[in-house]
Amino acid sequence: MPNHSGHAADLVAASLENGANGFMFSVSATTLSILEELDQMGVINNLGLYPIVPYAYEYIRLANQAGGIPGLAKRFAKEVAISGNLRAFAMGLRGIAGMDPTSLMKAYLTFEISRVKSSIGKHAEVKSMFLHEVVTDIALALNLDWLFKSYMDFVMKLGFTPGFNTGNFSHLVEKFRSWNIDLHRLTIAAPFNKVGFQMNPSRGACEKTLESIPEPNVIAISVLAAGYLNVREAIEYIAALPNVRGVAIGVSKESHARESFRILRENLKT
Amino acid sequence: MTSSGSLIRGFACRHDPVKVGVVGLGKMGLLHSSILNVLPNAELTAACDKSRTLCRFFRKLLKGVRIVDNVEKFSDLDLDAIYVTAPIRFHFLVAKTVYLKTIARNLFVEKTLAWNHEEARKMSDLADQFGGVNMVGYLRRFAVTFKKARDLLAHEAIGKLTTFRAYAYSSDFLSSKGNPAALSSRGGVLRDLGCHAIDLALWFFEDLQTDSVSITSATRTGDSTRFTVENAHGLQGEFEVSCSRENYRMAEVGFSIQGSEGMIEVNDDKLELKSSDKESITWYRHDLKDNVPYWLGLPEYYREDSYFIESVAKRRRADPSFDCASKTDRIIELVTHGANARG
Repeated sequence: MPNHSGHAADLVAASLENGANGFMFSVSATTLSILEELDQMGVINNLGLYPIVPYAYEYIRLANQAGGIPGLAKRFAKEVAISGNLRAFAMGLRGIAGMDPTSLMKAYLTFEISRVKSSIGKHAEVKSMFLHEVVTDIALALNLDWLFKSYMDFVMKLGFTPGFNTGNFSHLVEKFRSWNIDLHRLTIAAPFNKVGFQMNPSRGACEKTLESIPEPNVIAISVLAAGYLNVREAIEYIAALPNVRGVAIGVSKESHARESFRILRENLKT
Repeated sequence: MTSSGSLIRGFACRHDPVKVGVVGLGKMGLLHSSILNVLPNAELTAACDKSRTLCRFFRKLLKGVRIVDNVEKFSDLDLDAIYVTAPIRFHFLVAKTVYLKTIARNLFVEKTLAWNHEEARKMSDLADQFGGVNMVGYLRRFAVTFKKARDLLAHEAIGKLTTFRAYAYSSDFLSSKGNPAALSSRGGVLRDLGCHAIDLALWFFEDLQTDSVSITSATRTGDSTRFTVENAHGLQGEFEVSCSRENYRMAEVGFSIQGSEGMIEVNDDKLELKSSDKESITWYRHDLKDNVPYWLGLPEYYREDSYFIESVAKRRRADPSFDCASKTDRIIELVTHGANARG
């Protein structure tokens, strides 16, 4: 059986050699194994880490298998109990007792960050902790400003920059402004590509919002528009945008990693 | 007159937001509630779940939304429309209550319409009796690739249709560590996943909607089902459905459709038109105006909810209606019985 996490760790290392300086990942058993491999390879300390929580699609699959949200909640509670993470367990109990969304969120984040930390050693740096797009965009649609604020406060207390992955960049920025959420204190990961793929409501609206934000705190994702664009085409567009702090690119082959990050390095000099 | 353009019993259009109640606060309930909350002409007014624990949680989460543990408690809320996103086995019971207690006349029910064809037929009869707009959540009708494929078929881009092959794959139950009863509780692989391919087939090939369609073979192996159909005009189709297929983290539905003058291959992301006498043309989502005002999960969800709410506001028939979607339940039942009979 092939060692998938080993192969993925090699890809990260190859990307690093060619100019990448960060690793964005959904927190799962697989990505935690990749982090352990990177730690053993001695390269993890050169990487900024950008975990995304929760790994929504995996949880949806698990919910399907476990018979819905109650089944998933039981499975998750069992995992927290087995992990021996007393802080997460206590927060979780408090959250369940009062059915308090904020306490439940904190319990979940405490559990996830402890899993990441136990896989990366002492010197690796978590730069930003991102809330997954599905959770961000549900909370945004439901106007849960207090949830965003609690998330930010909690993540900042952990010493990380709060991040939000969204498919509704313009809407998010507009709402955050109306809720007096300080855009200087966070990072946003959102789709940006020259064909406007997943840039909602439109490419024009997202570009206009990007110009308006106070500082470069956006990480562009989906820059290749799910393989529709080649790296050179993609970078040409991204390089001309203001306020983009970084670019996240998914790679599946070492040659792809080398070529992509070489072109990125040549074209996105900061 | 096309079915999607007909008016319902001549009511005037409305301008106030459509007041909506959602029944079932699982993942689909949360998703639809979120989209409804951003639609300009809808108002998420109430939500219901029989779990008191979930009710307590959602009362803290959704301030300003009335949360109840029994759909009958919606009675005094003057709701315009109900979304039924409870597990499939409760769809009939909830819909019956909504109609008979006159809670609302407009219903959106997540797929599949019902747990079996008998209940689906009764729901369709109730909808006819009480009027209003009714629709079932087959979201792939709102995917740009499938919509384009249907337009091409309607314009006979590949001539007379002869055969098609449809598939619906996911990896949801690939791991045997999952609860083996969970798939059954979701109605089995056809009801959980295969219904999307069946619904699209009914949409693409209207001939299949007649009673003359016959199931010519059906086999079931674990989490997979394969069956073939044929209609009175000789159109033959093959369906393969599996929710334990490798490399389908995201479920995928696709069709290969053969006609006398070419072929269409379409899935959630891509459409290819291969004409006998012209060069092939390929369209991706990117080429087909896939953006929406608010993105959640997939753009199809926004389009679907927007279309239903708009239909309610304009008192306009929505598709797939209960009557239309009940045909999917009928085919599922025929196939399930056929596969069981063959052992």
